[in-house]
Amino acid sequence: MFYREAGQFYTSYAKDQGIFQLRQDKYGLWGILFIAFIVVPVGLYLLVQGGLMAASTKDYLYNSIFLLLLVNSMAALGLNILTGYCGQISLGTAAFMGVGAFTAFKFSTGLNYRIQHEDDAGELVSQLVPLLPAIDNPILLVLIAGFVTAIVGVIFGLPSLRIKGFYLAVATLAAQFFLVWCFSRVEWLYDYVSSSTIQIPPLKLFGLVVTGSETVMRDGQAVTIYPAAETKYLICLSLVVFFAFIAKNMVRGRIGRAWMAIRDMDIAAQLIGIRPLATKLLAFAVSSFFCGMAGAMSLIFYLGALEGAEAFNINESFSVLFMVIIGGLGSITGSFLGAAFITLIPIFLVVSLPWLGGQFGIPVDAAVVEHFQFMIFGALIIIFLIMEPLGLARLWQIGKERLRQWPFPY
Amino acid sequence: MKHAERTFGDTLLKVDNITLRFGGVKAITDVSFEIREKQIFAIIGPNGAGKTSMLNVINGFYHPQEGTITYKGNPRHQMKPHEAAETGIARTFQNVALFRGMSTLDNVMTGRLLKMSGPSMRYYHNKLANMPVINYLTYPAMWFGDFLLDSLYWGPYQKEEVAHRKAAEEVIDFLEIQSIRRTPVGRLPYGLQKRVELGRALAMEPDLLLLDEPMAGMNLEEKEDMCRFVIDVNDEFGTTIALIEHDMGVVMDISDHVVVLNYGRKISEGTPAVVQADQDVIDAYLGVAHEEDLIET
Repeated sequence: MFYREAGQFYTSYAKDQGIFQLRQDKYGLWGILFIAFIVVPVGLYLLVQGGLMAASTKDYLYNSIFLLLLVNSMAALGLNILTGYCGQISLGTAAFMGVGAFTAFKFSTGLNYRIQHEDDAGELVSQLVPLLPAIDNPILLVLIAGFVTAIVGVIFGLPSLRIKGFYLAVATLAAQFFLVWCFSRVEWLYDYVSSSTIQIPPLKLFGLVVTGSETVMRDGQAVTIYPAAETKYLICLSLVVFFAFIAKNMVRGRIGRAWMAIRDMDIAAQLIGIRPLATKLLAFAVSSFFCGMAGAMSLIFYLGALEGAEAFNINESFSVLFMVIIGGLGSITGSFLGAAFITLIPIFLVVSLPWLGGQFGIPVDAAVVEHFQFMIFGALIIIFLIMEPLGLARLWQIGKERLRQWPFPY
Repeated sequence: MKHAERTFGDTLLKVDNITLRFGGVKAITDVSFEIREKQIFAIIGPNGAGKTSMLNVINGFYHPQEGTITYKGNPRHQMKPHEAAETGIARTFQNVALFRGMSTLDNVMTGRLLKMSGPSMRYYHNKLANMPVINYLTYPAMWFGDFLLDSLYWGPYQKEEVAHRKAAEEVIDFLEIQSIRRTPVGRLPYGLQKRVELGRALAMEPDLLLLDEPMAGMNLEEKEDMCRFVIDVNDEFGTTIALIEHDMGVVMDISDHVVVLNYGRKISEGTPAVVQADQDVIDAYLGVAHEEDLIET
């Protein structure tokens, strides 16, 4: 009864075309943003200050849960644009994330390349020479990573004109394997270190330390400043919220309509004047842009240092695909719900299983937790897909329709 | 409607000696006809006569091996379907080909896509497109400018969206489908789906509208509604219509000119009255007794 459109009339097309048909939805979103931007940081800060929570717990929440959730949401948004809206299945998401991460790394160190020459003693001397000045603005790095990944995505999207469905999935799998191979074999990508690990150098945004640490002299003493978890969280959150807004705008406007037309009936779409190749490539570009940003965010904010072949292997691709399928194909909200489901359920199980075992006097060790985590997680995915094949977004939709009438029967 | 009262414009589409082969099978053999502006033009024939293939040729889906097509006075080169759409040819399908995941309104709005070029692209087409070199240099920038406006859903783009919404609403009003504006088209009954598909084609403001069996599978009332819409479209917007239809009553009532195909060949052409009286047409539809059959029995 409270959740319905009664009394809400739109008198202009501009208003009727808005993102939200219901005023309640709009307030709901503002509420969520308020909680994410203000209540969470301030609340956790106060809890720590008040001694109700350990500082390490707060950092764990930010660094291991919230940041991972944000990175996954960004990746899921990207894949949902390609698979959910444009109907092109991709199994190369992790590789595109990797391209983003490596781009961010290369630009943050100034696109180093190596020159080798023999010195007087006849020994080989290597020297890293930067091509460009190093960029130390994390947001700029994330955007550059997005653009570079978009270009790579377009190249690997080219087969989509001729190949459809599962066959395209296999073609994108080639991207996955090829790019991951590059991440561990092309030395230039990881600055020729023997472990093929990339580590983000210290970055700052508006004078705030974002990665690494900074030593400053304060009152004659050297003080080391470590990045605050809140800083990373708020930067990531702002990026995700802004680009979710962009994604929503794209899919509700003419770009999104062209994508969905290609997805639903490509022959009819062509007769309307939609160019299939250009439209699909645009979807690949935008999707890869988002995935690239997710990868860069993962490197800069979440992991700090990573090994490309390890962090962006095919499991990660599948994991993002599951997020999109479970969350709901063709839904921006669904991307977030799916990312939350896939990210939070394992963490929840890790925390709750030992506790549950303790209640019954059964000792639960880490190995058992891990096995149970996979079993329960798998079962949950199957149950969800049987109950609602269209994903969490559809469940949310049904819930909203129920709420329209609640508490009356009709 | 008396046919004698109706006047038509110049030739809009001229099909000359078209032959279309798939491997060894001849789908269309040496077919020629002319569609004139503001005409309601019907292509009829028994099943497998090559009617839909003919529409596909006009649409640019199939490329005939022989023959030429002249559209709006210019001989047409081999083109892709989306290029045909850009020249003002719209089409509905025999089996409904709507975008099932989208609402009625979105389907109609998708029909407006070709008309929705962003402000920078419009500037490009008006001012820059004819300049040598500069057109290639500025195109990506102009395209990207529009893309940014689109993704922000802001300013000029929002105005454009509203303007096209208005045009889409006019189509929706015309077809009387206001009440299903927000309904996903997958949930609509068949008759309404056909109507939405017509709406999507109309939203393109086409010069030539191809209708592939617009009344197939409809009940009498839906058929009458659809006939009324076809006649109204022709009357109010002056759209040239080429339709394929199996319901002879409909064809004879609403069309100005009829072409009859059988086994890929044109066997008759003329006003409905002429075609109706043609012995070849009657034979094609009812079958003809062959002499050798007669001798044996």
